[in-house]
Order: sequence, then C-alpha cells, then structure tokens
Amino acid sequence: MRTLILFLLRFKTLFLFLGLELISFWLIVNNNQFQRNHFLSSSNVIVGSVYNLSDKVYKYFSLASVNASLAKENESLNTELVQLREQLAFYRQDVSYAGRRYHSVQNNYSFITAKVIHFSAVNQKNYFTINKGENDDVRVGMGVVNEKGVVGIVNSTSSHFASVIPIVNTSSNTSATIKGKTHLGQLIWKGKDFRYATLEEVPLYIPIASGDSVVTSGYSSTFPEGIMVGKVHSFTERNDNFYNITVDLAVDFGQLSYVDVIRFQYTDERVALEKRKGNGDD
Amino acid sequence: MIDLTLKRLLSCVGFLLLQILLLNNIKFLGFVTPYLYVYFILLLPSSVSKEMTLLWGFLLGLAMDIFCDTLGCNAFATTFVAFLKPYFQNLFGPKDDFDDMKPSIERFGFNMFIQYVAYLVLIHHLMFFLIEAFTLSAFWYALLKAICCSMFTLLLILCFEYFKTRRR
Repeated sequence: MRTLILFLLRFKTLFLFLGLELISFWLIVNNNQFQRNHFLSSSNVIVGSVYNLSDKVYKYFSLASVNASLAKENESLNTELVQLREQLAFYRQDVSYAGRRYHSVQNNYSFITAKVIHFSAVNQKNYFTINKGENDDVRVGMGVVNEKGVVGIVNSTSSHFASVIPIVNTSSNTSATIKGKTHLGQLIWKGKDFRYATLEEVPLYIPIASGDSVVTSGYSSTFPEGIMVGKVHSFTERNDNFYNITVDLAVDFGQLSYVDVIRFQYTDERVALEKRKGNGDD
Repeated sequence: MIDLTLKRLLSCVGFLLLQILLLNNIKFLGFVTPYLYVYFILLLPSSVSKEMTLLWGFLLGLAMDIFCDTLGCNAFATTFVAFLKPYFQNLFGPKDDFDDMKPSIERFGFNMFIQYVAYLVLIHHLMFFLIEAFTLSAFWYALLKAICCSMFTLLLILCFEYFKTRRR
C-alpha cells in the first residue's frame, strides 16, 4: 500500500495530466455531436461484427421456434388454399352443372400441424409417429400432408400421439390420378426407394407423358382434391391394358419434420352413408 | 499567496475575455484565428508547480470550450500544453535557476523565447485542430491551419512582449 501511494505520488503530475486529458476526451465524445458520431461510427466495425456474430448464434438457437411458427403459418395458409380451391371447384361446377349444387364443399377441410417425432425408415413397413393425438382431434384414417404433398394416412392414435402409414409403405394404397384426368389409379410402394412409388390401374388409352403431375383424386374424404403426390418419372405399358407408372414423389421422406393432418368435417357422416349403401370408394 | 492567485485569476479572465470577445471574431483569410489565450499558460512563472499548471490549463481550456461550444477540445489541447510547458521552460529557459522566473523575452533572450513560444503554440494549435476534426486523415489541413494560426498568435505574443518591455 505504501509503495503504491509512493508510486502514485512520484508520478502525480503524469497521472493528473492523464486524468485531465481523459476528462477532456470524455467531454469531447459525450458533448459534441460531430465527434460522437465519428467516434461511434469508427468503432462501428467492431461493434457491428460482434453483434453480427451474436445474432448468428441466437438465430441458430431460435431455429426451433422459427420452425414452429413457420409450420403454423403453413397450416393456416394450407387451410386457406384448400378452402379457396374448393370454392373455386364449387363455382366451376356451378357454371357447368347449373342446378346441381354441393353446398357443403366450402370450409370442409382443416389442418392440424404436427411434428414427426419418430420415423422408422429401414423397413418395408415404414411407420412414423407424430406428436398430435386424439386430444388434438387426430383420428384414424385422416390424411397427412406437408408443404410438398401427400405424406400418408393416420393408422392408429393415442391421446397425444398418432402413428402414420406413409405412402412409402408396402401396405399403403392410396387413390391418385393424373392431373387433368379423372381416371383413378392406385398408388403403391414396392419397397425399394423412398423417392419413387408406383401408380397402377391407369388404363392405356389415357395419354400421359413423363413430367405429368400426379395428384389426389378427392374421391375419398382422406385427401382433398388436387394435392400433389409427385410427378410421372417413367412409365411402361403392361399387357393387361394398364400402365405401370413410376412416380417421382414430391415429399422427401428423408427429411420429414413438420406435417399437417387433414381433418374432413363430415368424415363420420360420409363413412356411415357409404357403408349403408355398401359402395364406398376406398 | 492569495493575492497572487487572485491576480493570476484576473489575468486569466482577462485573456479569456480578450479571446472570446475580440480574437475569436477574427477570421483572417477565412480561417486564420489567433488563439492568444494559451499565452497565459506560457507566462506562468516557474514557481507554479506542474500540477497547478495542469489545473490552470485545464480550467482555462474548459472555460474557452464552454464559451465556444467545443466542449473538451480546448481543454484537451491546453492541458497538453500545460503538461509540456515546464519541460520546455527548462529546455529553453535560462540555466541559472531562479526561484520565481517569469518567462519573457528579457529572461529567455529573443531566440530562446521565440522557440519556446513557437513550439508550444504550434503544438497547442495542432492538437486543437486535430481534435476538432477528430480524424488523422485531415492531418495536413490541420497542420496548415495550425501553422497559419500559430504565426498570427506568435505575432500577437511578440506585440505583448514588446509593450511589456517598453513599459519597464
């Protein structure tokens, strides 16, 4: 302590000088607009790069919540899209078949966004699990899509989770059609490659080309009409007057994270009706 | 002692008023202004301690700043000069040491006094202009300005010295 004081006293002039200059400098920077701006702007490079770095880190950590919010947005946009599409179809029908009205096609579908929490991708019988269940109104038989296209169908549910059969499951069988045509085909998966499925039962007299879109038919309540399944990759003509179409699937099953479960408002009613008549589509 | 301090304070205020009311209005060739007030620091006798010199310099500069709206610039430059002043005094002043030596032409001799004043005034002005511009990229302009203003200031200081010797 003594030595410190002695040291300070020895250099008191220097310290006083430095102190006064510091005060002056502080006054300059704090009170003169021009110098302040200049000082701040010249130190901006450092400040800016630091903020940039921290921002990058923060962004990384907030990815999860960003994803969730994007998924939510997707959900609402998808709902709107399907509703508009149905309205459009409704009005088109109205024009072509005046008098035959299907009043209830509007607002029939809604979406439940869920996160894929498990996906067994090694087997022929692939399943995946999502984090929404009966408590969230997910029911067996509902269709599952994501922003790219059709994913699968709900197979079983618990109160908080649901198991989904993707279209890349050998026991999956979904009706689909070539966009612009009305003939139904059966979409099956032969258990080789996640990227491709096979569309069968499309008759030979329908002209198709590779690159044609394959979409859902809308004949079942599982999927609304016109949801993307994939594109025609290649096709061969079989002996029994049907094509064997390889479909390049729209959904990338290697990177499945958020999906939307499609809820059709009148499923129970429609199923009951179709059972009673004994001629259900599926 | 108190008498002496009061006298010094009065002369300080005198220099300040002269600077603010008269000299600051001079804009010779648009940018040459004499900053005579630093002369007050140069005139402080050797009996004033280094610390007191620093304080005088700081306060004088601060007062100038308050009047000129350049808060800190004058204080910075003047404090710097006040720090250097004792060393320059030893360098250029007479070697036969007196207890209370007031810097003047008489004491220093013309050559030495001119150098003593010119160096310190130039340093003060350069410091002030650089701080005012706040960037080293304007160094050459600041140097030019400092040299011109220093010559003006030096001229005024020589006038003062002349009248002081005449009065004796």
